[in-house]
Amino acid sequence: MTLSSTSNFGVAFLWFYCCISATNNVFGIDWEKRNLEFSTVIQPILKKVCLDCHSGSEADAGLALSHFQNAKSILKERNTWAKVIQRLEIGDMPPAEAAPLSKEDRARLTDWIRSTINDIECGLTPNPGSVTLRRLNRFEYQNTIRDLLGITYKPAEGFPGDDVGYGFDNIGDVLTLPPLLMEKYFQAAEEISQLAIKTPTPGPAFESRIKLEDLKADRGGSFKGGKFAFVSNGKVSFDETLPWKGMFRLEAGLAGEAVAGEGPKVRVSIDGKKLKEIEIKTQSDDKAETVPFPFRNNSTKKTTLSIEFTNDFYAEPKDGKPKQDRNLFIYDLKVVGEKPPIPVPESELTPVHRMIVRSTPQSDGSVLKAAQTCIQPIASKAFRRPIKKDELERLAKIVVDATEEGDSYEAGLQLALQAVLVSPHFLFKVEVPASKKAAEYPLLDDYEFATRLSYFLWSSMPDQELLQLATKKQLRDPAVLKSQIKRMLEHRRSSEFVENFAGQWLNLRKLDQFEPSKTLFPQWNDEIKALVRIETYRFFQFMMRNDQSILRLLDADYTFLNEKLAKFYGIPGVQGDEFRQVSTKGHKRMGILTHGSILAVTSNPTRTSPVKRGKWILDNLLATPPPPAPPGVPELEKGELRGTVRQQMEQHRADPACASCHKLMDPLGMALENYDAVGRWRTTDKGSPIDTSGELPNGESIKGPGDLIKSLREKNTDQFARCVTEKMLIYALGRGLEYYDRCAVDKIMVKLTKEDYRFSLLIFEIVSSDPFQRKGVREEL
Amino acid sequence: MKKQKPISRRTVLRGLGTAVSLPFLEAMMPVSFARGNVLEKPMRMMFFMVPNGAHMPAWTPTKEGKSYELPPILQPLAKHRDSVSVFTGLTLDGARDHGDGAGDHARSGAAFLTGAHPRKTNGADIKNSISIDQFAANSIGSKTRFTTLELGLEGSAQAGNCDSGYSCAYSSNLAWRNESSPLAKEKDPSAVFDRLFGNGDKVSEGKNRGVRLGRRKSVLDFVQEDAKSLQRQLGQADNRKIDEYLYAIRDVENRVLNGDKLKIGENGVPNFPRPAGIPRDWSEHCKLMMDMTALAIRSDATRILTFMYRNEGNNDGYPQIGVAEGHHDLSHHGKSEEKQAKVQKINTYHMEHFAYLLDNLASAEEAGGSLLDNCMIVYGSGISDGDRHNHDDLPIIMVGKAGGKLAKGGHWKFPKNTPLCNLYLWMLQQSGINATQFGDSTGVLEFS
Repeated sequence: MTLSSTSNFGVAFLWFYCCISATNNVFGIDWEKRNLEFSTVIQPILKKVCLDCHSGSEADAGLALSHFQNAKSILKERNTWAKVIQRLEIGDMPPAEAAPLSKEDRARLTDWIRSTINDIECGLTPNPGSVTLRRLNRFEYQNTIRDLLGITYKPAEGFPGDDVGYGFDNIGDVLTLPPLLMEKYFQAAEEISQLAIKTPTPGPAFESRIKLEDLKADRGGSFKGGKFAFVSNGKVSFDETLPWKGMFRLEAGLAGEAVAGEGPKVRVSIDGKKLKEIEIKTQSDDKAETVPFPFRNNSTKKTTLSIEFTNDFYAEPKDGKPKQDRNLFIYDLKVVGEKPPIPVPESELTPVHRMIVRSTPQSDGSVLKAAQTCIQPIASKAFRRPIKKDELERLAKIVVDATEEGDSYEAGLQLALQAVLVSPHFLFKVEVPASKKAAEYPLLDDYEFATRLSYFLWSSMPDQELLQLATKKQLRDPAVLKSQIKRMLEHRRSSEFVENFAGQWLNLRKLDQFEPSKTLFPQWNDEIKALVRIETYRFFQFMMRNDQSILRLLDADYTFLNEKLAKFYGIPGVQGDEFRQVSTKGHKRMGILTHGSILAVTSNPTRTSPVKRGKWILDNLLATPPPPAPPGVPELEKGELRGTVRQQMEQHRADPACASCHKLMDPLGMALENYDAVGRWRTTDKGSPIDTSGELPNGESIKGPGDLIKSLREKNTDQFARCVTEKMLIYALGRGLEYYDRCAVDKIMVKLTKEDYRFSLLIFEIVSSDPFQRKGVREEL
Repeated sequence: MKKQKPISRRTVLRGLGTAVSLPFLEAMMPVSFARGNVLEKPMRMMFFMVPNGAHMPAWTPTKEGKSYELPPILQPLAKHRDSVSVFTGLTLDGARDHGDGAGDHARSGAAFLTGAHPRKTNGADIKNSISIDQFAANSIGSKTRFTTLELGLEGSAQAGNCDSGYSCAYSSNLAWRNESSPLAKEKDPSAVFDRLFGNGDKVSEGKNRGVRLGRRKSVLDFVQEDAKSLQRQLGQADNRKIDEYLYAIRDVENRVLNGDKLKIGENGVPNFPRPAGIPRDWSEHCKLMMDMTALAIRSDATRILTFMYRNEGNNDGYPQIGVAEGHHDLSHHGKSEEKQAKVQKINTYHMEHFAYLLDNLASAEEAGGSLLDNCMIVYGSGISDGDRHNHDDLPIIMVGKAGGKLAKGGHWKFPKNTPLCNLYLWMLQQSGINATQFGDSTGVLEFS
């Protein structure tokens, strides 16, 4: 819908609403009547003005209208017809060389197409749509870790950027999971589990490796070729001074040659007392087995250890039998010992450790039971629903296995936590499909609903209160829901909504990349860049927390400034670093369109861009993105553009291929020319006075930013409100809107109009809408 | 020799963003060469993309054949002239509009390595095709620890539909594992370093590596079971996501199991300081990422790599070389000589950074020649003239001798509309991959 058609908007809108009620009757749509209208009225107009070019496989712009035989067939290609409406309303179709289309026929065509493609959208049960499994994006991940464990995991900022769809970075369809990210999730899970759970410090360790080449046997053996070889019975001894009393072990790398199935026997003695005697089975010459000989050390003075070969055998070859020779080889000797691990002192246990490790094998009787006690609550929080029995069992088994392999209980719990943090139930907002009952699409379960709600307003997991309400199945009670929304918006976590929703809707994130020329704009620097962003965030937050009408975003006569930013704007009387509400009356500022953030993000590094500003308004305030430029932007034969920005734009518009869209964008942007590329007020540009006058496509003449804002506020009220609603619904759902979502948007609009477009009402209506509440199906067009 | 204390193997140096030459340890050389075994020459395939096309009059050599003269933009490559092949006339048909209207930047980014025509959408149902690097990796990627690496100097765009109704996924990813899964790129040199050489400092628990990997295996088993049971419950679109998840899990698992494929010896880590992060200065950032590229290739961590200078359509200026205006804005030069000169300046500047990498690779000896000899490095853009947005006559060069299969570089001209994918097909065949078709290829490119 274009600016010019907005005067009719209210009428069209009411008309839609009647249709919604009309289709609620049992008769549904009168297809016979529609088909008749199609063949007698619509098709002839199409034939006359459209089909010459838009026919068959060779259709211009790939847009064919020739194959539609009746009214119902139109429904199969709604998007095509939505485009048709758009171009008809912009007025650049049909082009000058085609047969002319009278004003009446144009209206007849658009009204009929619109009513046909919209009509059946809202029956008794419009499809509430289906959201593709959404991964947590990096902001959500970081917030969720913070709210789950109280740990701020900074490296999440370094996760690969999340792809953006429909203007937002929380869209299930485009949030992919490349291996690079999976690797980072693993890394993160390891680090986070180590921050969360403290493990006992390993006790001091002792290790002493014996140099084999220094050893001397009393007889029978010697060192050669990297090993100590006994060819006949003999013994080696060596001394060690062990630092503490307690358990140690001699670890010997041994191999040998057997005779008659009997390998060499080794006797180990400590201070002359026999410790153990065993037979070595390993035969290979290049592979030894490591044999541990544990012993208790009772002295911190010198200890003598000895190793003896006791069953030598040798026989010359005889009667065709080969020689028989039993030998022992020592490849490695070391004495090692560890003191028991030192438990973490009570005083050093962090709150998160206490929260997770609420039970120990000592207190609970077994590792298994203790692990289950610990895992059950934390995994349920992490999965945002009660954990299932088999999940709990499998997680507890990880702990049991780890302890059986010699890890501490706490290290085992770390592993279980890691498994939780890389599980798809944590990384994705899982919504399990439910089957459709009778005519109704199924509702999300209460936990899934709580999760949607909290990621919508907090970009994070539901807190205890929300989960409890979900458990009690009370969250959908309208009164409860209203008070929860109020609580959530007042909570500091709602600043995430401001930054993630408003930040993306208004393109504020793109400010990061905006680096204006330092010579032309020396006043702009990183600090100002940060401050203008804060201004818009604070402004939006104020609207939200004080339940203002969303229309105030356009025309509020106040903003939020601190001293530095006020000076940058040239507004006197603001002192100190604190941001506060400042009246902008008489200071040439009104609403978001006059915020430095938005004025800068729509500029080029060296100058303003009225085209970008105009396009920004069409895209983000009116939800009528201008149609894309024709393929292959034509070269301007006249050569280089010259003169002021306005003159250049006029030259540009002289080309009819450019004019149809630029006449939409340019006047909007020109009206803001009083703000330079970094958003400061000016009345001249390079010495020439600035001319902000222009004519809007609806014929309204405007002059300057004030007129523009007034026109948007008064003549495009519904269009703006619908735009905000649609953007917010996309963000809330994590998917793009489809034609069937128009029913939900229409319903919300009815409510909003009645109550002055209150912010909290918009949120409540979105959360209460079917697309947010129910599980529908994905319609492939 | 008494008490053992775990010692961090690597000293983390901070704050060094500047270019540092790379003194390599012999231990870092791929084992096969260190031992003088020249049976298998590892072939490297790399792809570098620059956005917004190029100033073609200063890119295309006037003469054809082996004795061509380097045009101004290619001058930075003078040292490697014998290894440079310039291709004139190659075309990316998939990037053309085919009735979809505007969006040449997104399309050419998406099509650059796939040769496909991406579906016009800015959200659901993105559809492209497998990219050449991933196609090659499916055959030869298992020889290295990383099947491929995806690098760049810019993250995914932060907000907005990126180009006339095309998803940002198209304009900010070169590598596509399949038609719907783009592979995100890494832009932080320190993160690349950690991926390549491990991040032992943070996760040392006084346990040896084997134990740690064994533990990780138990976590992998757990989540794999989770994912598989979810797979049974979810619908089709959701399952695409679970497939991605499982693929990523298997990839991590392979890396756990194949950890020993990193052939850089016991000491492990190269004598190169770990970068501190992303330098603010573009040139420093770019050079560091080129250093990381060289490290990855020289340590044989991977043989296939993609590198996106900027996301397609990028509009940053380069004030350090006197070009404050945005690159994309300038590329719509409207025949202004001043703007074209500035575009040429940016093109040349980008090329200088490419030369910086080539210098590095050429300095590494390998199998009696230089490492660069065993490379095929494509560099170019999916747009020709940024003002016309045409996708024929693309600026494309390839550096390296493909393991000796190319004796000398040259300037080769092809008939209009010769698919760029014909070059890719040629590259696949040089790598011993038995492919007869890739993307929109019509045959193997013939040159030399």
